[in-house]
Formats: sequence, C-alpha cells, structure tokens
Amino acid sequence: MSEQSNELADLVGAEHAATGREYTAGFVTEIETDTLPPGLDENVVRAISGKKEEPAWMTEWRLDAFGRWQRMRTPRWAHVQFPDIDFQAISYFSAPKGDAPKSLDEVDPELLRTYEKLGIPLHERARLAGVETAAEDAPQVAVDAVFDSVSVATTFKERLAEAGVVFCSMSEAIREHPELVRKYLGSVVPKPDNFYAALNSAVFSDGSFVYVPKNTRCPMELSTYFRINAENTGQFERTLIIADEGAYVSYLEGCTAPMRDDNQLHAAVVELVALADAEIKYSTVQNWYPGDEQGNGGIYNFVTKRGACLGERSKISWTQVETGSAITWKYPSVVLRGADSVGEFYSVALTRNFQQADTGTKMTHIGPRTKSTIVSKGISAGRSQNSYRGRVRMNPGAKGARNYTQCDSLLIGDACGAHTFPYIESKLPSAVVEHEATTSKVSDEQLFLCQQRGIEPERAVAMIVNGFCRDVFRTLPMEFAVEAAKLLEVSLEGAVG
Amino acid sequence: MAGLTLNAGSLAEALLARGPASYAPWLDRGPHLELIEQRALPELRSEAWRHTNISRWYQTVLNGNESVAQSRRIEFAGAVEVVDFEESRAAELLELRGDELYQLSAHPIAALNAMLLGAGVAIRVPARGGRLHPVRVVDLPASYQRILMIVESGAEAELIEEPSPFTHRLVELVVQSGARLLHRRLQAASPHRDCSLVAVRVEANANYELAQLSLGGDLRRNDIVATLSGESAHVTLRGAWRLDGTRHLDNQVAVHHDAPGGTSRQTYRGVAGGRSRAVLNGRIEIAPGAQRSDASLSTKNLLASDTAEVYAKPELEIYANDVKCSHGATVGAIDEDAVNYFRTRGIDGQTARSLFVRGFLREAIDDVETARRLGVIQ
Amino acid sequence: MSLLRVEDLHVEVDAKPILAGIDLEVRAGEVHAVMGPNGSGKSTLANVLAGRPGYDVTRGCVTVDGEDVTGLEPEERSLRGLFLAFQYPIEIPGVSNMEFLKAAVDAHALGRGEDPPSAVEFVKRARAAASRLALNPDFLKRGVNDGFSGGEKKRNEILQMLILEPRLAVLDETDSGLDIDALGVVADGINAFRDVGNAVILVTHYQRLLNYVVPDHVHVLANGRIVRSGDASLALELEERGYGWLDA
Repeated sequence: MSEQSNELADLVGAEHAATGREYTAGFVTEIETDTLPPGLDENVVRAISGKKEEPAWMTEWRLDAFGRWQRMRTPRWAHVQFPDIDFQAISYFSAPKGDAPKSLDEVDPELLRTYEKLGIPLHERARLAGVETAAEDAPQVAVDAVFDSVSVATTFKERLAEAGVVFCSMSEAIREHPELVRKYLGSVVPKPDNFYAALNSAVFSDGSFVYVPKNTRCPMELSTYFRINAENTGQFERTLIIADEGAYVSYLEGCTAPMRDDNQLHAAVVELVALADAEIKYSTVQNWYPGDEQGNGGIYNFVTKRGACLGERSKISWTQVETGSAITWKYPSVVLRGADSVGEFYSVALTRNFQQADTGTKMTHIGPRTKSTIVSKGISAGRSQNSYRGRVRMNPGAKGARNYTQCDSLLIGDACGAHTFPYIESKLPSAVVEHEATTSKVSDEQLFLCQQRGIEPERAVAMIVNGFCRDVFRTLPMEFAVEAAKLLEVSLEGAVG
Repeated sequence: MAGLTLNAGSLAEALLARGPASYAPWLDRGPHLELIEQRALPELRSEAWRHTNISRWYQTVLNGNESVAQSRRIEFAGAVEVVDFEESRAAELLELRGDELYQLSAHPIAALNAMLLGAGVAIRVPARGGRLHPVRVVDLPASYQRILMIVESGAEAELIEEPSPFTHRLVELVVQSGARLLHRRLQAASPHRDCSLVAVRVEANANYELAQLSLGGDLRRNDIVATLSGESAHVTLRGAWRLDGTRHLDNQVAVHHDAPGGTSRQTYRGVAGGRSRAVLNGRIEIAPGAQRSDASLSTKNLLASDTAEVYAKPELEIYANDVKCSHGATVGAIDEDAVNYFRTRGIDGQTARSLFVRGFLREAIDDVETARRLGVIQ
Repeated sequence: MSLLRVEDLHVEVDAKPILAGIDLEVRAGEVHAVMGPNGSGKSTLANVLAGRPGYDVTRGCVTVDGEDVTGLEPEERSLRGLFLAFQYPIEIPGVSNMEFLKAAVDAHALGRGEDPPSAVEFVKRARAAASRLALNPDFLKRGVNDGFSGGEKKRNEILQMLILEPRLAVLDETDSGLDIDALGVVADGINAFRDVGNAVILVTHYQRLLNYVVPDHVHVLANGRIVRSGDASLALELEERGYGWLDA
C-alpha cells in the first residue's frame, strides 16, 4: 500500500458516520419453523441426531456426552451473576421448515432478506458489508450462514473446492468427511471439558467445518454468520477448523439475535487444529443482543473455544471484539504442543448497562520455544462488570518458551466494575512470563484537548476508546476492523455523560 | 494423629469435640465457632488454597508445634503499653480497636486461631508519642498466638517480628488517623508448617509499611489483609522470599481501598530453587466511591531450578472509575548475561549468581535498615 | 469591532481567586503578548478563555466577535474560532494525529454548515502543514503526542493551529522547552498564520519568542491583574530588569 492510501486506511474508521443509535440487529424474521418442544433427555439427543440423519457413531458420541453432562454441575467461579438456567425450558432444535436447500437459489427469500438486512448478502458477488470505500478491490469472503439450529447457505463452495478447501456445514461434514470429523471432533475440547462443552457435545445442531489441505493458502476469507431467531431456543453450534501442514486460513465469525425479554442460551464449541507450519487466524465480532437498559433479556454467551498447535511452527491467532450478550463466559485458548508454535489472543470487550463479561484466554505451553502473546482491552460503562481472566502455564517441557501479556481496562462512569484475574504458573526457569495490567479512565485532560479542537465529548470518547483498542483492531481484517470500530462507537452512545 | 488425612469436616468435628481454648476466656469466639459449626472451613482445592495442601495444614492445626518457646519475650521502651491477653486490660484494648478488621470472623485462619489460642499480647502506642516507638516480639509461649497493636492518632511505631518458630499467628493492627507503623517480619527457614494472618486497618492520612522476608517452611502460608479505611491512607507492602529444598510458601495478599484518595504500593521479589513452590496471590480491590485511589503491585520471580514452581496471580477488582491501578508480574530465570558480565570482571559464577539474587531481592527490601535487620545484607 | 473582549474577569480555581479583574481587548490583525512571573495567572487566563473545566468565572465576561462565550462549552468556543495551544499537550495513545485532526476539521466544517473535506484533500492539507513545520510525514500517523519529544509536542500544537485556522490563537508557553532551531520553526509557523483577519495571544515568561514574533501590545500580569501594558519595548525592558521592579 502506498503511503497515502495507508493514511487513508487510518481514516476509514474516522470517516463513517454512525448509522444506528440502537441495537439494529434486533428484529425477528417471520418464518415457519420445525422446532422441537422444550426439554432435554436422551430422546431429544436422538431426535436431533435423527433430524440430521447422522450415522450411528455420531449418535453414540452425543449420548456419551449427554451422560457425562448429566453428572456435571454449572460452573460458578466466573465473576458473573445469573439465576439458575432451567435446561428443561429450552428448545434444543429449531430450523426453517422444508428440505435443506441444495443451492443458493433454493434458499427461502425471507432468509436471504434477513441476512441482507444484517449486512451479510448471501450471493456470490458480494463481500461482507460495512465498508463503502475501496469497494472494487475488496477481497471476497465466503459465508456460511447459520440460522437457529441449521446452516442455511454456504457461498463460494465451488471456488473453494477448486483449491481443495472444504467449507461446509458441520452436518454435511459428518456425512461427507466422516474420517476427518471422527479424528478431530472433540480432540481439542473433549466432551467432558466443562459443563457447557459437554452440553454442546450432546445437542449441537450445526456449525461450520473447514479443512485446508497441505501447503494450501485458502484463496479467500471464510466466515460464518450466526443468527438466533426463534424464541426459547438455545443455539449450540459446533465449529471445527483443520489446517493441514503448511496451510493458511483466515476465518471470521459474526453473530446477532432479536431483542427479547427472556435470556437465551448460546453454548458453542469451536475447535481449531493447526498441523506443522499451518496458520489459523480466527476473528470474532460478537454482537449478540445484550439486553435492554434495565438489564432485561439478552444472550448468555457461554462458549468454549480452543485451538491446538499440534505441529512445529504452527500458529493460532484469536481476535475477538465482544460488544454484545448479557453475559459472556468465554476463553479462546491455545494449547502450544508443537515446538516453536505460536499462540495469540487479542481481545476487546465492551460492556455497558447491566452486561457482564468474564473473558480471556488460556495459553498452555508444552513444546519448546513456544511463544504466546495476549493483548486484552476491557471497557466498562454503565452498571456493567467486565473481567479479564487468563491463565498462562509453562509446563516442564516448554524450554525457552515466552509469554507476554498486556491487559488494560478503561472505566466510563462510576457505577461499573473492571477486574483482572491472571493466573501465572511456571515450572521451568528457561521460560519467561511477563504480565502487565493497568486500569484507568478517559482523562479529563484528554477530553478537554479534543473539545478544544471542536470535537464534542461523545465523539471524543469514542475516538479515545478506539485508540485504546487500536492494538487489537489492527489484527483484524480491514472490513472487520471498520465494522468493529463502528460497533464500538454505536455501543458507546449514551454511555458518556 | 500424624499421617491421618483431615478434611474440613473432620477437623470441625475434632475442634467442636475439644471446645474452645481456655486461654483469654473473655474473647468472643462466637462468630468463629459459628464458622466452624457451619462447616465453612475451606476444602481441599478451594480457590484460595489451590496451591497449599490444606489437609496437611489441618493436621498441624490439631497437633500444634512441638518446639515452641517456654516464655514470652517482648522488647519495648517508653510509653508503649503491653499487656497479656489473659489480662482484662486486653479486652479494653480490643474495644479500642473498634470494628472488626476486614471480614476477619469469616477468615479460616482467624477462626482456628480463636479456637486454639494459647498466647497473646495487646500493644498500645499512645497518641502524641513524638518519636518512633519500637516494639520487638521475639517469643510467645504457645503454638497459637495473637498480636493486637493499636497505634493511636499521630503516633509513630515500629513492630518487629523476629525469627520465632510459631505454627499459627494472627496479627491485628490498627493505624489510627495520621499515625505511622513500620512493620518488619523475618520468617526464618523452618522445617515446620506455619501460618500467619496480618490484618491491618489504616485510617485517614495514616501510613503502614510492611517489609517481610521469608525463607519458607515445610508448609508456610502468609495472608495479609490491608484496608485503607480513611481518606488519603497509604500502604506499602514489600516482600522478598528465597526458597530451596522442598520449601513451600503461599502468600495471599489483599489490599482494600475503601476510602477515597488512598495509595498503595506492593513490591514482591522471590527466588525459588530446589523443589520449592512459591505462590503469590495479590489482590487490589477498589470499593465503589473510593475515587482517586492509586494502587500498584509488582511481583517478579526467579526460578533457580528445573523442579521449582511459581504461581503468581495478581488481581484487580475495581468498582470506582477515577482510579489509577496497575500490576505487573514476571517469571523467569537468573539473567545469565549479567552473570557472565560479572565473570568477565573476575567474579566466579556462583558468587555472581548470589550477588545477582541479592540485588534482585533488594528491589523489594530496599532500605538499608530493613535489609540489615532482615539479614539480606550484612 | 474587537475580536476578543475580556471585561472585569474574575476567576477562581478550587475556591482560590487567581484572576482578579482582567480587562483586555484584542482586534483582528493584532498580536498580544501576555507576560508575567510564575503564578501570576497567565496560564489561567489562557485556559479560562478556552473554557477549561475547573476554572470558575465568578465575575466578568469574555466575548468573541461581540458574542458572550463565558458560558459556552469548550467545543462551542473552538467552533467560534478560539484556539488554545497547550502548555503541556496531553497524550492520547492509539488515536493517530491524522484521525484526530480529521475529526477536528470535520467538526469545524460541519459547524460552518459545510461538507467535511474529502480524505484525499485533507491528507494533502495536513502534509503541507507538516512540511512547513519540518515534521516528518510519519508524524501524522503516530498517536496524538504519544511518545513525542517536548519540541514535537509544541510543533504539533502549531500544526493543529495552521490546519484549523482559528480567529484567535492563544499560545500558552509554546516557546518553553524548545531549542533555538525549533523555536525558529515554531515562530515561522506563527508568522505564517498571522493575518489581518485573525489575532494571536502569546502567553510567555520570556522575551525570546518575541524576537521572532513581534507583538503589537505587551501586557504584564501580576497577582491576577494586568499591571502594565505597552508596546514591544516593554518586553525588552522586562528582559533587562526582570519582574521585580514592577512591584516597586
């Protein structure tokens, strides 16, 4: 990029005018659905498996997970508060009626309109929406759209297939690529890993599957867009991404839900596998409905995300921008097994009103000379509680391993909380762990400087907060970075004063 | 009872069967007894005891320590008032303390201390002392010990806890408005299991400074709870440790900023060698309304062997917005470049390493007086 | 009509009186220097003109182009053409100079009822101003004042002034901490800015800057009042005799 266009890129975030003042994704799509009645027992697990026409091994796998889940208890160690969830009051499957569409042309037009409205056009001319500038040369993005419990469309499948890349729904992968699924499903997040992971293993309905073959650079960004639509329904998607030796893939994930007064549960599991010299970049912009100003409704986002750097020199990088959900409980982690492998976690979490977030990462260093970097930026406003929780563990084999962690919190208003809970565990002298954390507020001096230059306080705070998050935003693909900055600005409206 | 594995439940049974200690009968043991009756003692693997085998410690709780001193030895001068907990005057001094120190009755160490107390001393440094009042506690003649010290408004005092084998000590300190307390502790290497809890309340414009050097025990647990209860209070906590063999040191520190304008500074430096285990959990909590609080914590750790372990957990819990808080933690090895530099100047490797370690520890115990008293430098 | 009129201005900070009745009139095309010893209230005057929170006006008023701005928010004053170059410019990490300036320029354009300049046009303007102040183009991409040297911070203030083209620029000790070369560059920037349509107030302790930017009027502040006014020669007299003789 030329010098000038570089500067222009810097300005893109500053250019746009904030469009919506509210949660704009909060509408409901009127569509006929095939929904299981609320409740959970073995029969429900079998019914889900049956609806997806799964092979017997998959049904058994689910039942095993269900049995384990029944013996587990809800984790309560996170710095969040919520009433007990009645797991029998939730419906575990909801899908638009009718046979699964074979191609984009067969997708219900109402669904296409839904995604169009969310800025996620499901036709193959399109890119991810959000950027009006520099449209011509913008890279193409393949999208898997998951609506409630099923994948409704996956774009660019043919073009990806030419490169040997498999990008499809998890249901399809179980049918078409059973050997890969059997080998890797549950290999990074075992069924009994935690309460919600066990639940997901039993009832997961759909999600995305990616396989990038040896020495292949995935020709475009892949993305999944998750939409919860139906009432009283939980979403339990399962994503598995495998990057074979020398492969590279960048994957984006977005999510929204309608505004409802009840809390809805989202308990996903994401597993990433990177073999030798492979690299996976996983970016999330999480904008689930956060609840209203009084703290009613919103999504409980209880998610297990973990990557395994199995091969030497492999790399897994998580970037997350979390602005939604009533409660977030999420620790995208990396197990660094291969020698010289690299794990990264970049996070922006913004909470306001009555939102609660307990999020961070776990970096487990097993192989020699493994390296991890953690950059976490938490912003609390309103009456929200925002916690970073992270664990860095240096196991005895991780000779010469290194970790660097920087976690900063910004407080807006005097009724919110910002918390930092890092766990540092080292068992060998040659590993180096460095952790730094700060907490501060937007200073009066910074605000005055902006105001003196004619910038009104609300805009100034948005700009300062964006600057605070810059180290994270710059790890996002361009379209997502702009989206994220915009989302942050919209979320901050009304938070200042 | 050696060798028996005790859990919270069986310990509570044993304690209730035995009943509270007869020492200092005036002491209100009600809330502590309640904690034990409700079976609220921590279990194995509970969060605050993750790195210390609590069942091993519970064994010691019942057995006591076989090598305690036979008599009390306390040195002090001037207007300082020192009374034994057996005397009724001690009850008056406890009244003087005011409110219970930060949620102490819910603390398991305080509860066990109250149940088994065998020796205690209450100390009062009167207001308008005009100069520094040193108090040196050398020996207390029981396994379960308690020190209460009240530094009255405007007074200046120094509390020195000398090397003394004890299994269990509760130290309650109140630094009244405008007063200053310097607190120095040396915990020598010990083959025993021991445990101490320092709870301090620092009132408006008062100053509390702790310097602590610990060489680890078979199982050593140090809890510190410091509360900045008045405006513009100041707390400085400095700790250094050096562990080898199979020593175990578990430090749990909490600093509560409950009033506006307080500052706290925490500095810890630790070296773990052999098969030792060092733990530091350092929490800073800023209460709602405690605006303009300024808090920081720094902990640096050296691992000196392949079999030692370090666990660091610095935490921030913040409920006010106009604050400045930070913490930093590092774990690594002795800087071999520095050692090699020493060697090019003719200093052998072992001496170089030892010089390096001393320098490192002195970052925490930095003033000459404390360092001398604590034996870091001769 | 005068561009700036300050009438009987009394200001308190934390209930402590700092300014005790300032009268000052500045017309378009003029450069005024406000001098005085430390603690005389110079910086308070500069800050109160810009509407900094924490400075309470207890009496008197400030008008710009005949409009009373005493009760206006800082950004409203900015849009009316009041510019303050800060004595200690604050850092805003992560926000690039370019982004910051564009936000300011856009706010000013919208304030005038105009469309904000295009990004391309703006980048051109910013680069031209940067090169006039001998600032590396990279400078625009760095965080606002983040890791800047003292001199860079001061030049950055002048850069913002050149781009925002205010009616009245109040420069609070912009000369302090500058070496002789940087002082020359800053002075060139101020001289390039001077115009029949605008005005400058230089708040300074020393005469040194006034060798480069010659003021039309010099005022001496002591104990919150203007104790003496004159032309450029007054500054030279102060340089020679110090502030002490004023008390006599």
